[in-house]
Amino acid sequence: MPPDGTTARLAHHFPDALTQEHAARLGMWIFLATEILLFTALFTAYSLYRYLFPETFHEASRFVDTHIGLANTAVLITSSLTAALGLHSARRGLGKRAAGLLLATLALGATFMVLKGFEYHHHFVTGQLPGRYYSFAGLVAPGAAMFFTVYFLMTGLHGLHVLVGMGVLGWMAVRAWRGEFSEAYHTPVELGALYWHLVDLIWIFLFPLLYLI
Amino acid sequence: MPTETTVSDATPSGRRHGAGRYLVVWVGLLALTALTYLARRAEVPEPWHLVVALAIATTKASLVALFFMHLWEHAGAARLTVLTAVAFAALLIGLVLLDSATRFPYANPPRTGAWRGRPGALRVPAPPAREPGP
Repeated sequence: MPPDGTTARLAHHFPDALTQEHAARLGMWIFLATEILLFTALFTAYSLYRYLFPETFHEASRFVDTHIGLANTAVLITSSLTAALGLHSARRGLGKRAAGLLLATLALGATFMVLKGFEYHHHFVTGQLPGRYYSFAGLVAPGAAMFFTVYFLMTGLHGLHVLVGMGVLGWMAVRAWRGEFSEAYHTPVELGALYWHLVDLIWIFLFPLLYLI
Repeated sequence: MPTETTVSDATPSGRRHGAGRYLVVWVGLLALTALTYLARRAEVPEPWHLVVALAIATTKASLVALFFMHLWEHAGAARLTVLTAVAFAALLIGLVLLDSATRFPYANPPRTGAWRGRPGALRVPAPPAREPGP
């Protein structure tokens, strides 16, 4: 991409840069829609098991640390802010500031993963594990293992998305530092930020369902 | 040829605006997070605690989608795409739950309450001994 930040290279099947940009954004939104449906499948599993074992799921959520969950929620919400501000700076051609904000987003994502690691470690040592590995004696009831199966599947898949988002934004930070983005061309940062906001969106639903109720 | 617009006014990515709205949305999201935590502490009665939690989560998600993801500015296909995804999600979860809720008796596992066992006791205890009947 041209470092003077004039415009993106126009692919031959688009009549102009504006159409190309709209197509890129719509393509990203279609991908995000598929990601929403991917997590919907896991939310469906959660909903079904919650319906079948309501008291067990309510009781099991007490064994997931609400304060770490609150902290992680604040971390991800703030990381969405820094990602949005990073795009804002990239659009104005402020490459170094954009790179700094995108790296801040990445650092907050890493903080999220570290806190999640502490949580997982606690679950491992207490035996709160999925399916056949469940051995926690503090909650013995039908459906107890299914809560932690759903918990690990959903937070694990979400954590994978956080790692992918961190990689994407890291690469965008490098390009922003090199001054490749401007008002006329900032599509990669915009699309990467959209992915990161989706990661935050998913956590916004995961947090109350797994931790609070 | 597309309509030429000056960079200082409307742009292909939407009208220019300051970064202030992001900070306002951020504060709103943190406030809603605190609210959902307080609603949990307030022990909202059964089934409403789920409704309250989902309503707050949907509000937060809408703020993120509209302002951080710029759906407020980009009318058209992007909004339609995400609304379609949400519609199908509601359909999937709604119909699966409807199926389970309307099954014949004894078609679902028993909805026994949760209870805490003794440390090390993972097996469901044997049912109490019954007098041998006639």
